Amino acid sequence: MVTTTTTTAATTAPARTATWRRSRWWEFVRTQRLATVALVIIVLFVVAAIFAPLLAPYGATEQIRTAIRHAPDGRYWFGTDDLGRDIYSRVLYGARTSILISVTTVVVSGAIGTAIGVLSGYFGGRWLDSLLQRIMDAIIAVPGLVLLLFLAAVLGPSIRNTIIALIILIVPAFSRVARGEMLRVREEPYVEAARANGCGTVRILVRHGLPNLFAPLIVVTSLLFAGVLIAESALSFLGIGTPPPTASWGRMLSEGTRFLEIAPWMVVFPGGALTLAVLAFNILGDGLRDFLDPRSRR
Amino acid sequence: MAEYALRRTGYGLLVVFSVIVLVFLGLHAVPGNAVRAQLADSPGITEEEIAKRTAALGLDQPIGTQLLHFLGGIFRGDLGRSFVDNRSVASEIGERLPITLQLGLMAVIISVILGFAMGMLAAVRQNSLMDHSLRVVSVSGLSIPNFWLALLMVTYLAIYAGWSPPLVYEGPTQNLGNNLAQTILPAIALGVAGMAGTARLLRSSLLEVMQSNFIRTVRARGASRATVLFKHATRSSILPVFTVLGLQVGAILGGTVILESIFSIPGLGLLVFRAVQVRDYPVVMGCVIVYAAVFVLVNLIVDLTYGLIDPRVRYR
Repeated sequence: MVTTTTTTAATTAPARTATWRRSRWWEFVRTQRLATVALVIIVLFVVAAIFAPLLAPYGATEQIRTAIRHAPDGRYWFGTDDLGRDIYSRVLYGARTSILISVTTVVVSGAIGTAIGVLSGYFGGRWLDSLLQRIMDAIIAVPGLVLLLFLAAVLGPSIRNTIIALIILIVPAFSRVARGEMLRVREEPYVEAARANGCGTVRILVRHGLPNLFAPLIVVTSLLFAGVLIAESALSFLGIGTPPPTASWGRMLSEGTRFLEIAPWMVVFPGGALTLAVLAFNILGDGLRDFLDPRSRR
Repeated sequence: MAEYALRRTGYGLLVVFSVIVLVFLGLHAVPGNAVRAQLADSPGITEEEIAKRTAALGLDQPIGTQLLHFLGGIFRGDLGRSFVDNRSVASEIGERLPITLQLGLMAVIISVILGFAMGMLAAVRQNSLMDHSLRVVSVSGLSIPNFWLALLMVTYLAIYAGWSPPLVYEGPTQNLGNNLAQTILPAIALGVAGMAGTARLLRSSLLEVMQSNFIRTVRARGASRATVLFKHATRSSILPVFTVLGLQVGAILGGTVILESIFSIPGLGLLVFRAVQVRDYPVVMGCVIVYAAVFVLVNLIVDLTYGLIDPRVRYR
């Protein structure tokens, strides 16, 4: 994540040397302190997700029958749940589920949304643009969680279908950004020059359109990660997303609702992990926006 | 203005129409057949019964005919009948919509009032300790999932104050106290994100306006700080805040699904959630359409009221 951010920003600029790239990276760390901390937190989450089996003291579904709803202490850092499963271990495994789902969702919908937005923007005002925009407007008009529920009803609950539903939910966000930017780029003199030189549509879109999109898209990507994490947990919380016994933060929260007063740690820690991850992506997104587009200071 | 209003309304209707068509086509893309999917778990169901039920619901007709029939029904205020209890979907939604709208309205009020207070305070005391702590509050407010916040509030109120919201819903006319006791926590949870967003936008927009020439003139003429802030600056900086209000309502509406199910409030959100669990497609379809219609309507109202707040806005 670190490297993609900086390199994509770098490719849009004229100088592409390694030193330039490194100095740009240092500039980000120096000027965006808080966003850098957020980035470190995100990296820690990814590490936790990848190495969950090594880091977790217990298995994700391992039941310790002598410790049912055990309060947090030196042995069970985050306590245990009603089935005697270690919550710290399950939070680590839950990071795995969340990150797997959100990365897949954001990458696929980023690709689809960008393609739709670029086409729509390039052909702005014509029938293809109108058709695509009407579909996007219809998707946006349905409140997020309602749309996810509808798609879950149509597709049936499973991890794969959760990902498909989340992709449909956020494609419009990507396509909006890409379209807006493309409408601007389309009028640039260098695009006209390229067309006059006999460049085809595909070449113009790929060579001149896409590089301009990276900065705005990187910012939305970070913010959408935050949105997807919440949406996925909400679905699992409602029992429609990730099926049990897979550890997922949303599912853990819903299991904890029955024991709010006697075992509050069952909802405090999974929710805390979720909030921290969302917070990190939001702060990173803000930092990236300030860094990549200094005009739009908050 | 009249032409603009007409055009916006027409566009809103077009969006609702496309939602209806997409929802309809989406449901007919259910693998197999809706009746079969819904009755899959019922024991001792025969092929004959499935065929009979399919015919009764008109699902054996060509898809174009079905769509026209469905659209015709919507014009007459008929959204079909529930698969499960054969009740009219429209009347069921009619009963539950006010409950969700009440919850949503409470959330909007909380988000606007607190958001304005926080935003102004932060802008007036720019770069003070207050400003920095309010910034932390607003970033956290934007990040904290509303259902987790609601669970935390319930947990800690129960543990430390020995208070928990009533579990049986009563309408505001039946028992206003109980009604508010049950809806206040979900309304706060739903409003926090909007509050944070409003505070942030208002702060930056106020700071920008405070540096403009006309504010300097007002100050030079000897107006007090309060007059400058409340009478002149706030009015000019409301517009960007107002613009995102429509979007915030979308997030609040989506959130009602999860919060109504946590607090067992029998609104539209709980209805669509239950319907999804039993695959009651007519109810699901009706709810999605009504949710979208409410969202589109709110945004239309926001669009049309721009000019009332800020006369500088020109309708094109």
